[in-house]
Amino acid sequence: MRRIALNFDRDALAVMLILGVIAMGTAATSAFSTSATANPVSTARAEPAPAAPMPVNSDGGLVLRSIGEVAKDVPAMRLGTDIVADVDGQTARVTVTQAFRNTSDQWMEATYLYPLPDNGAVDTLKMVVGDRIFEGRIKPKEEAREIYEEAKANGQKAGLVEQHRPNMFRNSIANVGPGETVLVQIEFQAPIQQVAGDYSLRMPLVVGPRYIAGSAKDSGSLSRAALLAGASDIVAPTADPDMVARAGGGLNPVSITVNLDPGFTADTISSPYHAVNVAGEGATRTITLADGAVPANRDFELRWSAAGEAPSLGLFREKHGELDYVMATITPPSAERTGAVPPREMIFVIDNSGSMAGESMPAARRSLLYALETLRPQDRFNIIRFDDTMTQLFPDAVAASGRNIEQAKSFTHSLEAEGGTEMLPALRAALDPCDYDKPVTAADCAAEEAAEADRVRQVIFLTDGSLSNEAEMMAEISQNRGRSRVFMVGIGSAPNTFLMRRMAEAGRGTFTHVGMGEEAESQMQRLLDRLARPVATNLTATVTGGNIDFAPRDLPDLYAGEPLVLLGRTRHLQGTLTVSGLIEGRRWSQTIDLSQGSQSDVVAKLWAYRRIAEVEAERWSGETSYERADESIEELGMAFHLVTSRTSLIAVDDTPSRPEGATLTRDELPLLLPAGWDFDHLFGVQFANRDREPSMREMEKQRQQLELPETSTGYVLTLGLGLLLLLAGLAMAVGHRWERLRSALPLRSLHSQVA
Amino acid sequence: MQAVLTIVQDKGRAASKGGIGRALPLLLCAILLLSGAALTAKALYIPVKAEVAQVLLNRAFDQSLATGAPVKPWSWADTAPMARITVPRLGASDVVLSGGSGEAMAFGPTAMVDDPARRVTILAAHRDTHFLFVRDLKAGDEIVMERIEGTRARYRVNGFETVRWDEFSYPADGGEGVLALTTCFPFDTHTPGPLRRVAWAQRIS
Repeated sequence: MRRIALNFDRDALAVMLILGVIAMGTAATSAFSTSATANPVSTARAEPAPAAPMPVNSDGGLVLRSIGEVAKDVPAMRLGTDIVADVDGQTARVTVTQAFRNTSDQWMEATYLYPLPDNGAVDTLKMVVGDRIFEGRIKPKEEAREIYEEAKANGQKAGLVEQHRPNMFRNSIANVGPGETVLVQIEFQAPIQQVAGDYSLRMPLVVGPRYIAGSAKDSGSLSRAALLAGASDIVAPTADPDMVARAGGGLNPVSITVNLDPGFTADTISSPYHAVNVAGEGATRTITLADGAVPANRDFELRWSAAGEAPSLGLFREKHGELDYVMATITPPSAERTGAVPPREMIFVIDNSGSMAGESMPAARRSLLYALETLRPQDRFNIIRFDDTMTQLFPDAVAASGRNIEQAKSFTHSLEAEGGTEMLPALRAALDPCDYDKPVTAADCAAEEAAEADRVRQVIFLTDGSLSNEAEMMAEISQNRGRSRVFMVGIGSAPNTFLMRRMAEAGRGTFTHVGMGEEAESQMQRLLDRLARPVATNLTATVTGGNIDFAPRDLPDLYAGEPLVLLGRTRHLQGTLTVSGLIEGRRWSQTIDLSQGSQSDVVAKLWAYRRIAEVEAERWSGETSYERADESIEELGMAFHLVTSRTSLIAVDDTPSRPEGATLTRDELPLLLPAGWDFDHLFGVQFANRDREPSMREMEKQRQQLELPETSTGYVLTLGLGLLLLLAGLAMAVGHRWERLRSALPLRSLHSQVA
Repeated sequence: MQAVLTIVQDKGRAASKGGIGRALPLLLCAILLLSGAALTAKALYIPVKAEVAQVLLNRAFDQSLATGAPVKPWSWADTAPMARITVPRLGASDVVLSGGSGEAMAFGPTAMVDDPARRVTILAAHRDTHFLFVRDLKAGDEIVMERIEGTRARYRVNGFETVRWDEFSYPADGGEGVLALTTCFPFDTHTPGPLRRVAWAQRIS
């Protein structure tokens, strides 16, 4: 806090307006867009039409800035992007290479902002600027920034990777010569999602700057901040179908290769948004885009499932520094249900704020109607809808009788998307099992709760995640979740996955992205099926014969087919890990010998990343102070070579030994680039797009950054202190007077006065 | 300071005469009273200044409205009223100063950004004086902004956002018109922190 305050006095208060343009790239692509949630989306799969599911939180692009006398910003042409993902068991190693070219005749600085999967951990930066290769080193954020600024001023080439938001990164490259080409390669670790035997890898495409954030009209654009804070009703842009048609294909080509080695024979490999080719046999497959390079106008997602029995156990280990790191994945058996499903209590919370307008609201309505169909008479349920106001359908959860269901359905049908988003009251109401309309006391309520302690209450949120005040939301969930489990269902093309996953984790539930159209029902069905299947509850993890702490400490409930992922570290890895819990009321346990793990070089980084997420969660729930959290994150980032909110990768003229015989002329560039990179192809695209530039610039939509001043006088504290001192002084003075009075007057006369 | 010294001397003499036991409490008592009074006065100066300045600013604003040119609220002021914002539901009203300096913020909300061409206005003020009302703002609230040029714009609050001070961004093009009220967050603490609360409002016809 002190550091920030000091910075403020010196810089911010003096000069408020800084920071030029937030990276904006090829503007024509913004033609697709409208608000984060109101995209007109075609439901067709693998169809290269421009109106398609949009990438999650995509916001980025490249801007070149002249050094010295700053002229106007010139959007650099994006040449192209190549993505290679190596899927190995539970994680994927992703290498993203992008090429940019300085087409001007000036020395330039380039800066751009790009999205990553919301739990991707960037650890490597390589940059080829003209004929130089830079390797990035990790430094504390301010230090890295200083080194960069210094190098920039000295005319040295320098590259910097900063984390801007947990799923948003910024690269800066200084001193790009006229006509030079900039190649940027970052590598990161991305987790594989595993739900009920289905696996998926989702990539928000690095290019594709403002499909969401931009706007085809002048009615404004959505901020990065807004994307995260979800204040999407700041502006209500509308899509111009004309622009959608004109944008077409051929912009921002991206080529994607996935080397799939999940550790078992993958079956039903599919990509819902892109046509793909699958090559290879057995456990190892190579997936490429069927059309070669495609316009980067939507997320890439690859799904697969296990052909036979997927391994229910995985143990990986790595030595990093002095310590051993270990990752255990355990999938409890998806036992067939023996008896009937016990009565359940389900609270549906549905968002009908303005940001849900368009395709999202019908998708949410359909999902909810589907869920209502699955309720049985013995179940209890309620519906809470919210925009900036809130309505509870029933004052308290009611039995799912035919009449109540009918009433719920007509209520659902009548929901229209309008108004602001005030989720907190709805969240409170959903988590609060007590009904304030009835005259019950807190004690009665607590007793009632205790009686139902082992009955799980499932709170299902249907929202696009356009939330504000996320800190309060997180705090509310972690403090008041009680016996409730919070399931976040992300509706629409661009739900705020980062925040929603956090909320679900805090609520010991899961996050599901249901998308649009027909997908909504099938995804909702999968979620509801899962919720109805046996739940492994009361999970505990114990280690015998060794000393190791596993994260997470509070183990979530598991639904059929979900793995429990435990990460831990210890001085010396030994002993056995036993995970036990209740499945269908019966005891289940599994034991692993910790010394049997296979080597993996990602475990330590995953552990660090997981730890950072915990620190962030502690920060938001108020368990850790802002400063302490920052310190912890900086330590972790430095120790594990990770880009975090407190650490950046910086490269300054640090040329590694180039492979012998390899020179950086254009023809031989592919030698230094990952396989699949086709420079000529990308180069061609650049010239093909050149004549589009003016119109792109015209439509440039920008966010500007502003540092907000310190706005707390804190006079109340000073006043309190002052009054306290005064009071103490007065008390002493009075005490002193009294003493003197007493010693001056004989005690007897006092008595006589009283008498 | 002079007074304190005198008292200290007095007490010193008292101590030499009447013994340290009697003088020390008196001395301590005087120090407590004096420092308490000083702190209290210093603290009270802030809200009092904020209030009084607004009275003067309101007068200056009305004059500015009449003359159509910025009028300084007091002769040595280095800032001038720019507009007046009112939230009818909360009965809150503040005269906004041009130029977002920390000095000016003691007297009223200041305009960090006010760009008529791009229809973006971003105001900042202290959370414990002029923008205390931001805490009570709700989506749908109306904010009226009268400018010294005589124009009158109505905005409707449509969203809130909590951001770090260095992670705030605003649309370069405000479309119909965008107004942001920014202040420190959380409201119930009194120490400086990195979080800011932003109330966004959009212009309505």
